[in-house]
Amino acid sequence: MRMSDTTNKITKKDLRKVFLRWFLAGQVGWNYERMQGLCYCYSMMPVLRKLYKGDDLKRAVKRHLQFFNTEPDMAHLILGANVAIEEKEGLAGEEVATAVKTGLMGPFAGVGDTIFGVIIPTVLLSIGANMALNGSSAGVWIWLIWAVIRCWLRWKFTEIGYAQGTRLVTTMSDKIQGFTEAASILGLTVIGALIPTVVTPKVPFVFQSGDVTLEVQQVLDQIMPSLIPVLLVAFIYWLLGREKMTSTKAIWILLAISIVLGGLGILGT
Amino acid sequence: MEIALWQIIALTVYAFIAIYDSLETNLGLNRPIQAGFFTGLILGDVTLGLAVGATLQLMILGVGTYGGASIPDYMSGAIIGTAFGIMSGLGVEFAIGVAVPIGLFLVQLDILARFANTFFQHRADRYAEEGNFRAVERMNILGIIPWGLSRAIPVLVALAFGPEIVDTLVSVTPEWLLNGLRVAGKVLPALGIAILLRYLPSKKYSAYLLIGFVLAAFLKVSMVGVALAGLALGLLVYQRSQEKTALSSEGGVDEDE
Repeated sequence: MRMSDTTNKITKKDLRKVFLRWFLAGQVGWNYERMQGLCYCYSMMPVLRKLYKGDDLKRAVKRHLQFFNTEPDMAHLILGANVAIEEKEGLAGEEVATAVKTGLMGPFAGVGDTIFGVIIPTVLLSIGANMALNGSSAGVWIWLIWAVIRCWLRWKFTEIGYAQGTRLVTTMSDKIQGFTEAASILGLTVIGALIPTVVTPKVPFVFQSGDVTLEVQQVLDQIMPSLIPVLLVAFIYWLLGREKMTSTKAIWILLAISIVLGGLGILGT
Repeated sequence: MEIALWQIIALTVYAFIAIYDSLETNLGLNRPIQAGFFTGLILGDVTLGLAVGATLQLMILGVGTYGGASIPDYMSGAIIGTAFGIMSGLGVEFAIGVAVPIGLFLVQLDILARFANTFFQHRADRYAEEGNFRAVERMNILGIIPWGLSRAIPVLVALAFGPEIVDTLVSVTPEWLLNGLRVAGKVLPALGIAILLRYLPSKKYSAYLLIGFVLAAFLKVSMVGVALAGLALGLLVYQRSQEKTALSSEGGVDEDE
């Protein structure tokens, strides 16, 4: 179904309003009790106003004020589908709408966090951070370009969600698995390259016994480039797997280790 | 150097806008690189700001606010750290030494802001009951205030009272500690990497990790080059998975347009 084919009540302009509302204020009302619930209701409001009046409207508003939480980019798919359901089924579609919302928000949060939250930032910011360490601000501008693409993508998601309606549940699940795998592969390839590029402590320590001097870093380099960074990442990976270990605790441990080993001159830059 | 009033105001406003941006528009203002860059721009040392921002950024590459989790606020940390690094004249390592503890400490304010917004949610419930839907909408918008203040206030306080704090810190920071912090700047990015490896299916796809490492460590391929290679590998796997699903289930739905 194309948007132009619909002779229904919701126009492209209404859909754009929903998109803009979520894009500009889809998380500002975030709170511990219902997370994005308030924002979701805010975004749906133009459509609800158009479709319902009086007590029906009140009922719909209260329904959409309930708990909602997913990854903000993926949320546009759900919003789009939800608009289509409200338009077609009206109040009779209450249960379907809620089922689509609550059924999709979990899986969408998972795939959205992986792709929009982890993989893309990792790739772009790894490149950006690397340039920044060399004094270039190119990373800042790369991210801006991505922001424009992302905005367009979010509008497309709204359109796709609207066109698919309830079918969104089945069509997306096929694609999601493949997308996530491909993204993970891209992410891991970049991370592999990140280790020798940005983790760069050296061992300035020099052994001296009589006439023999031994530069430790030189020996390490002969075994393998970036041996220390690899061991370091492996150590922290192991550390994070321990019970009751959090990334915040790990930061303090690493700060302490760095200060002691750096202070003693065993590690350097 | 002395920090001027307009610089304090500019950075405070930036912090307020940056957290909004991270929630919604995603121009990247809340990323440490951007915050460091902007602070450097305002205070006249872009290189230092970029270096501080990049180091903080690498520490939290794999850290996100999944499911509403609070993470270290290295945006504010980058602003305050960069400012202190420039004001003290002690450079990047001092800036990072300041930024990391501050970023960790400021998690508390993130939690407070998320908590404060519960108030608006309850007000919205009441307005919905009364049929005052404009007010329901307003409650969502008002949520910006706790968010913005949770970043703007610490930046304002740190920069306003900064000069005295900086003087004290400079006089008590010994050379060995600066050496240690310098090392920390090179070690801490390993944490961001390890967090990512924990999050992603790194055991299943360890081969790709190796490919990336070999490309960079042995063949000296640039980060952009590695990313493109990774993209190619990802595309191959994606195509194969799509072929498989096409065989098993007849006819997909056209998703173009």
